[in-house]
Amino acid sequence: MTMDRRTVLGVGGAIAAGAMVAPGLRLIAAPAPKGADAGARWAMLIDVSKCGDDCTDCTTACATENNIPQIEDESRQIQYIRKITIKDKTGKKPDQSLPVLCNHCENPPCVDVCPTTASFIRPDGLVLVDKHRCIGCRYCMIACPYKARSLVYHENTTAAEQLNREVPIRAKGVVEKCSFCVHRIDKGEQPACVEACDKKSGAMLFGDINDPESEISKKLASVNSRTIRDDLGLKPHVHYTNL
Amino acid sequence: MISKFTSIQGNSREYYTLLMSLMALAGIGILTFFYIEVNGHGVTGMNNKVVWGLPHIFAISLLVMASGALNLASMATVFAHNHFKQFRRFSAFLSIALLVGGLMVLVLDLGRPERMLLTMVHMNFKSMFTWNVFLYSGFVVLCFFYLWAMMSNEKFVKLSGSAAFAGRVILTTGTGSIFGVIHAREVFHSAITAPTFIAVSLTSGTAICALLLVYTYRKTKRQLDDKLIFGMRNMLLFFTLMVFYLMAVEKFTKSYSPSFYEVETWLLTGPWAWLYWGGIVIIGLLTPLYILSHKTWGSDINGIMVAAIAAIIGEVSFVAHTLLAGQTYPFNPFPGYEVSSSFQDGSVGNYVPAMPELLLGLGGVAVAGLIYVLGIKFFRLLPKKGEAPESWTPWNP
Repeated sequence: MTMDRRTVLGVGGAIAAGAMVAPGLRLIAAPAPKGADAGARWAMLIDVSKCGDDCTDCTTACATENNIPQIEDESRQIQYIRKITIKDKTGKKPDQSLPVLCNHCENPPCVDVCPTTASFIRPDGLVLVDKHRCIGCRYCMIACPYKARSLVYHENTTAAEQLNREVPIRAKGVVEKCSFCVHRIDKGEQPACVEACDKKSGAMLFGDINDPESEISKKLASVNSRTIRDDLGLKPHVHYTNL
Repeated sequence: MISKFTSIQGNSREYYTLLMSLMALAGIGILTFFYIEVNGHGVTGMNNKVVWGLPHIFAISLLVMASGALNLASMATVFAHNHFKQFRRFSAFLSIALLVGGLMVLVLDLGRPERMLLTMVHMNFKSMFTWNVFLYSGFVVLCFFYLWAMMSNEKFVKLSGSAAFAGRVILTTGTGSIFGVIHAREVFHSAITAPTFIAVSLTSGTAICALLLVYTYRKTKRQLDDKLIFGMRNMLLFFTLMVFYLMAVEKFTKSYSPSFYEVETWLLTGPWAWLYWGGIVIIGLLTPLYILSHKTWGSDINGIMVAAIAAIIGEVSFVAHTLLAGQTYPFNPFPGYEVSSSFQDGSVGNYVPAMPELLLGLGGVAVAGLIYVLGIKFFRLLPKKGEAPESWTPWNP
């Protein structure tokens, strides 16, 4: 069968038209989030005065809990939680060391920009990444003001017996981030970093700020606290005191 | 006035050499994609600070150029500049070719390109990327509609040409907005980013059209009236001034705002300043402006070609500077403090592009080139003689 050039153009146009219309068709309905308590709003309060300069217990516990491989190249190391040293430019305040992690914002820009809704917010305020839906476009990494996301550059080759079976490993090519240890929260436990910190200095407090009786709600009501980049209006859920 | 549209013969040794070279380059691009797919983005030079590297620079440059390549067609259909009516088909076809090349690189550089269909079934209409999926595919449809009308049904030309013109404006607004809407990044966030992208697309699109027209007519030993290229020279001159103006306004506005002092100073003096001053200002703006308004060089076709190449280098530099300076700017979640960490907080991000990135990007350029080279052989896209009326005298420097 031969096609004249106009037919070729017509068929080409039709294919392109199909490609344009196809995005509007929903072939598979998005699954409804399970296990989230819509009445809760999980948040963290970090007392910077209790956070030791050299202490990395939270980051170590996080890496072990979430099957994060340690690689040599720092620029590609996956970090859910990291220690940052801040130095007051005026020199009036002493240097401080504090953990920074995903702030699980109420208005998360990463969720706004994700084209496949792989980045999503659960009814209980947890901002998560669906590793099966992420196409690795990295736009969420550009949009995050906390640099809380990492791309998986290499396959995770950790031996199976060293893995935490509760947390699936992420294949290369997707973006991942702190989930506040969602698998632990859903069992009524504390995130791994908070648990590790509790054993040392107790600088981290985690809980439901929608529950007025929770320890974190009472503490937030009684201390001066602030969030990072509150100028952006994202309503982050990691609060700092004594900063 | 317009002589008959004909396809080129395309059976010379030179033609086949070009075709084979482009196919080889496109093939290497595809192989490189599989190499990255198998080994992961670890084989690129990207890291967790610079996540959009050389492939994005190639892709966005091609996409911006694609929308600008429609200029010639729009000049005739929308602005009734009938001297360019004879290049409408060429212009619309070239838009499709460049767009396909750019999109190919963009898609193949995804972390999980095999999941591309997910963008079609799980849509997030708040995402500028989602909008761009519609804008890119929509623009291709409009260009096909326009081409079909030009070749088969003249009565739809005005409608399809106007729709394609609107499409290109919206498309480039979408591309610029990928950066402009990012609130959290000082380098990117700006309402003027999208209009600047439009102006840059006008320069690079006009430049690539002028280059390919002169090259194609010379190589096929066909006649092309110099006046037509002089008309395009004037368009290029005007569009380059437009880019200059928009970039100056942005710098002026941001320099008036104390919160932007630091970032603007960094952009103009930091590690990527060479790309700004060398690539954008000297090569992309001052060189074309000087050549095109020069009494002798501006009236010489080869001089205009040099200016067109400079304009394209300027466009690529603009995209590269936007991307690289924007991502490597020292990240600081605590404004007012000096910060440091093992995650490059507070320090300039490193980025050295790797060979697979270059080969993937060149593969996209080759695909665009292949579509064009095959297009002029199999479709009647260009008139045998490019003619301009005696009565028309374009402005000369």
